[in-house]
Amino acid sequence: MQLINRIIEQFPIVFPALNMGFLQTLKLFAITLVGALPLGLIISFGSMTKFKPISLLTRVVVWIVRGSPLMLQLMIIYYLPGLVGKNIWGGGESGRFIAAAIAFIMNYACYFSEIYRGGIQGVPVGQQEAGQVLGLTKTQVFFKVTLLQMVKRIVPPMSNEIITLVKDTSLARIIALQEIIWAGGAFMKSSHGIQGQIWPLFFTGVYYLAFCGILTLLFGYIEKKLSYFE
Amino acid sequence: MILEIKDLYKSFGRTDVLKGVSFSMEEGEVLSILGSSGSGKTTLLRCINFLERADKGQILLDGELLFDAAEEKTAKAKEIRKKQLNFGLVFQDFNLFPQYSVIENVMLAPKLLAKEAPDFKTNKNHIYEEIRHNAEDILDRVGLSEKLDNYPCKLSGGQKQRVSIARALALKPRILFFDEPTSALDPELTGEILKVIRSLAAQNITMVIVTHEIDFAYSVSDKIIFMSDGVVIESGTPDEVINNSSNERTKMFLQKLSEK
Amino acid sequence: MKKLLALLLVCVMAISFAACGNTAPATDNSETAAAQSDLDYIKEKGTLVVGITDFEPMDYKDDQGNWIGFDADLAKAFAESLGVNIEFAEIEWGNKILELNGKSIDCVWNGMTLTDEVTSSMDCSVPYCNNQQVVVVPAEKAADYQTADSCKELNFAVEEGSAGEDMAKENGFNYTAVKDQATAVMEVASGTSDAAIIDSLMAAAMVGEGTGYESLTYTVGLNSEEYGVGFRKGSELKAMLDKFFEDAKASGQLEEIAEKYGVQAALIK
Repeated sequence: MQLINRIIEQFPIVFPALNMGFLQTLKLFAITLVGALPLGLIISFGSMTKFKPISLLTRVVVWIVRGSPLMLQLMIIYYLPGLVGKNIWGGGESGRFIAAAIAFIMNYACYFSEIYRGGIQGVPVGQQEAGQVLGLTKTQVFFKVTLLQMVKRIVPPMSNEIITLVKDTSLARIIALQEIIWAGGAFMKSSHGIQGQIWPLFFTGVYYLAFCGILTLLFGYIEKKLSYFE
Repeated sequence: MILEIKDLYKSFGRTDVLKGVSFSMEEGEVLSILGSSGSGKTTLLRCINFLERADKGQILLDGELLFDAAEEKTAKAKEIRKKQLNFGLVFQDFNLFPQYSVIENVMLAPKLLAKEAPDFKTNKNHIYEEIRHNAEDILDRVGLSEKLDNYPCKLSGGQKQRVSIARALALKPRILFFDEPTSALDPELTGEILKVIRSLAAQNITMVIVTHEIDFAYSVSDKIIFMSDGVVIESGTPDEVINNSSNERTKMFLQKLSEK
Repeated sequence: MKKLLALLLVCVMAISFAACGNTAPATDNSETAAAQSDLDYIKEKGTLVVGITDFEPMDYKDDQGNWIGFDADLAKAFAESLGVNIEFAEIEWGNKILELNGKSIDCVWNGMTLTDEVTSSMDCSVPYCNNQQVVVVPAEKAADYQTADSCKELNFAVEEGSAGEDMAKENGFNYTAVKDQATAVMEVASGTSDAAIIDSLMAAAMVGEGTGYESLTYTVGLNSEEYGVGFRKGSELKAMLDKFFEDAKASGQLEEIAEKYGVQAALIK
């Protein structure tokens, strides 16, 4: 009972603080998608090109990025420039955000590229040929024939990856980006005049659940929209 | 002479698939190509339809050079495309566009092509109306007027193949090619496809058919060529090739088929 | 179109390589930067970036969102004496040495206990404040654990690499090292550990009446230790801060700020 009373009493202070943190989470989530969705497509074309040096290089990059922990990449991107030469990010919030955004975009673009590759290669070559003998140009074949079939193929793995991204944003706290877990955890010590409270940290789960719930519905809707063909 | 194939060669790596194939046909004729699997029939069709580039040889349409392997390898995609429109190709496994309904499958290419017409912008509605009318008409001819708005996944194999024929016809090709149009179908569904092809033959549409259906080829064709191991080993009227073949390999092939 | 995209990719990569190439001369600069003193470096950019965590009463935000506290106010006065602006950067405490050497911050000034780990990796100021490591236990058991010896039977949670961990080692306690002090306290509250060792200032703020851990209290003080400020190795700022503390003591400024935040008893006179 006491706990509930305390939560009710502290909620008006905790809630806006968590909202601020969640705003950072959302910003990182959104900028990662905006950057990684197109970059991933470029990387996927790079890994599929017949020009060997490029495809080899992209595959090595994808291997490095997917083969090492995102947390390590965050620390390398943020700290390494300053350790070997000149700090390029500054100590402030904006520098940390940019560094985090770059790490996330690179990381997720590589994951997305593999999903795109599977999607593109999964469309039967006969579709392309059918378009070609009907006199469609290569561009028309891609946009009018291949694209939608590819999208349908990649929606399930993409939704998985994007929902993982929502939660992965919390890794950015390793370089002190003050996302929602950080904001919630701050109340365990003292923040905004409230000391030693764990419930705000646990409460952050509500934000994640709600947001992932919305995304799940959205992807379910897209999947349903595309289920009219096979 | 509407089509003349002169001495086509094609190899994939070290495998020589076509080793000098020549044949010709007249407008309005139906020509069937027979031969065992691996004899190069499908590759021949793919070379004529620009899906593969022959290593050597020429293709002539109405006596004019359409393709010459000796020319620049990097022929412009635009030009190839223009030449491609002389031919229509019906695939063994249909290759319908799954995201489009039956009528959309048939209208897609004509609509995209119409965009290149000089009067497209001013006449758009009229042009689209005409394309739709034409598509409905063709689908009616292949017996699918009930299925216009169905998606391919809801159709039987025979219906799919009929859509694919209609799709090829919509561009009014000079010659329509069939690559084993019944091989992917259950035996009880082949009849409906053969019936459609027969009706097209009756309308004097020029066709080249790669098939294993000997009886059908015999009855529908004006001319039959028999391929083996990358070359044409026999050609002539159906009677000459099927009933009075002098070639051992043709006889063996026909015998094997009749045993089945 | 594939070719076009491949080409685009080449460009992207070329640019990123060029960017990498740019860091090479930057490395050269760092050699001259090494020749450049830390003081000149900070004066040149005009800002002293202070690495902190949210830690009342040392560094915390007022209602307007400005950083205040005993450490924060002192740091502001120090920056003013240097003639540079001040910027506070909240950091992940475990990364403080990385942050400092990576130059994303210029000093660590956040009630930092001068442990061996700290003094060996940074140049530290003279101690300016006393601190104690205390044992946090559930209040109803507090009477049983008033001496270090009586605590030997307990399982402890301590912050990894903290003065608390040193104390646990020294006294031969069983302990688990956790991420931070707040987590250590949470371990006790949830019963996964019997007790925790944390800073007395922190304990005063976090446990007992009016906090989220009313059922906890702190008992025995294990040692006495001192707070200092950390700078990059070789920085002349250390000497300047020592001088600043001396002057602030003499003028009464230090006492005045300490009284404002109720830590005057801990001041090193």
